[in-house]
Amino acid sequence: METAVFYATEGVQDWEAARSRLLEAFTVSQAAAREERPIVYVVHGDDLLGRRGAPSAMAATGLLSAARTAAVELTRSRVPVNVVAVGDDTDPAVVERWVEHLSDPDGPTGEIVRLDPSHIGKALP
Amino acid sequence: MSGAVVVTGAARGIGRAIGERLQSEGYTVIGVDIGDGLAATTFEPVQVDLTSADGPDTVDEAVERTGLPLVALVNNAGITRDARLVNLKDDDVAAVLDVNLGAAYRLTRALIPRLGPGSSIVNLASRAYLGNFGQFNYSMSKGGVVGMTRALALELAPDVRVNAIAPGLIATEMSMAIPEDIRQKMVDNIPLGRMGEPSEVADLVAWLVRPGYITGEVLVIGGGRSLA
Repeated sequence: METAVFYATEGVQDWEAARSRLLEAFTVSQAAAREERPIVYVVHGDDLLGRRGAPSAMAATGLLSAARTAAVELTRSRVPVNVVAVGDDTDPAVVERWVEHLSDPDGPTGEIVRLDPSHIGKALP
Repeated sequence: MSGAVVVTGAARGIGRAIGERLQSEGYTVIGVDIGDGLAATTFEPVQVDLTSADGPDTVDEAVERTGLPLVALVNNAGITRDARLVNLKDDDVAAVLDVNLGAAYRLTRALIPRLGPGSSIVNLASRAYLGNFGQFNYSMSKGGVVGMTRALALELAPDVRVNAIAPGLIATEMSMAIPEDIRQKMVDNIPLGRMGEPSEVADLVAWLVRPGYITGEVLVIGGGRSLA
C-alpha cells in the first residue's frame, strides 16, 4: 500500500498557517486511515524543539501527537504511523529510505526518527 | 501574593479549582469563560468566546480595569469532540484546534506585553498529547500546546517562564460523564488507583506560578498512567 507522506518542514509564521497545516494533515491522515495505508509525517527537528517560533512548533508537535494517536488506533490493522524529523541539511534520499522503513507493517509505529543530531541532549516533546 | 492572574475556562472543573487556589494565595483572578457559570464564582468575570475576533482584546481590557500588573496567565479552556480518526468530522477537528490551541495562542500573544519580569504562563495540555485512542483532534491540539509552550519559553526568557501541565484522568464533570464501567476500566490502568482531583492540578499550577527555575517543561499529573 502506498504510504501517505505529509511534509511539514517549512516553517509557518502565524496561527492561521499552523491551523491550515494541521487541518490538511487531518484530511490526508483520514484518507490514508480509511484505506489502511501507512502514514509518515516529515517535520523539522528545530520545530519540535521550539527553535523556529511558536506557530511552527505548534504544527510540528501537533503532528507528533496526532501520529501517536493514529498509531494507537491503527495498530490493530497493522498500519504504522510514524514521524521523521529532519534538519536543514538532511538528504531527501535519506528521508525516502526512512519513509520506506517506517512503512513496514512489521516495523515500529508511533515512533519518531530524528535524522539531525541537533536534538541530542534536548528533551523530546 | 499580589497582582492579577487570568484563568480561562474558569467557570467549572479544573479551571475553577485553579482560580480558587490562586485567589486563596491573594491574587486577583480574572475568570474567563464562554458560559454563564462565572456568576457562581468570586472571580472578576469575563464571559467571552475566546475564538472570536475580539475575544483576546476583551480579556486585555479586563486586566486593564483591575489596575494591577498581570503576573500569570493560565490557558485552561478546552473542549473535546471525540471520535476515531476514520469517523472524525472536519468541523470537529477545526473546533477543537480553534479552542484548545488557537484561542490559547491568540490570547497569549495579546497579553504578552503585560507580562513583566518574574511572571508566568501555564498552559493546560493533556496526557493525551502522548497519544490516546479516539482523540486524534484533541491529541493534536494538546500536542500543539506543548510546542507552543516550548517555543514561547525560548522566546520570552528570561523574563517570563512558560510551562505546561498534562493532566490525566481528573474527576471533573467531563470525566464523570463517561459511562461508569468504562471509567472504572480507565481507573484500573492508573497505578495510583484513582482519578486525580481538580485541586491537585490547581496545586501544581500555583507552584508553577510562583517564581522558580523551571521553564519550557511539561509536567504530567496522571497518577502514573504514562507508565502503565
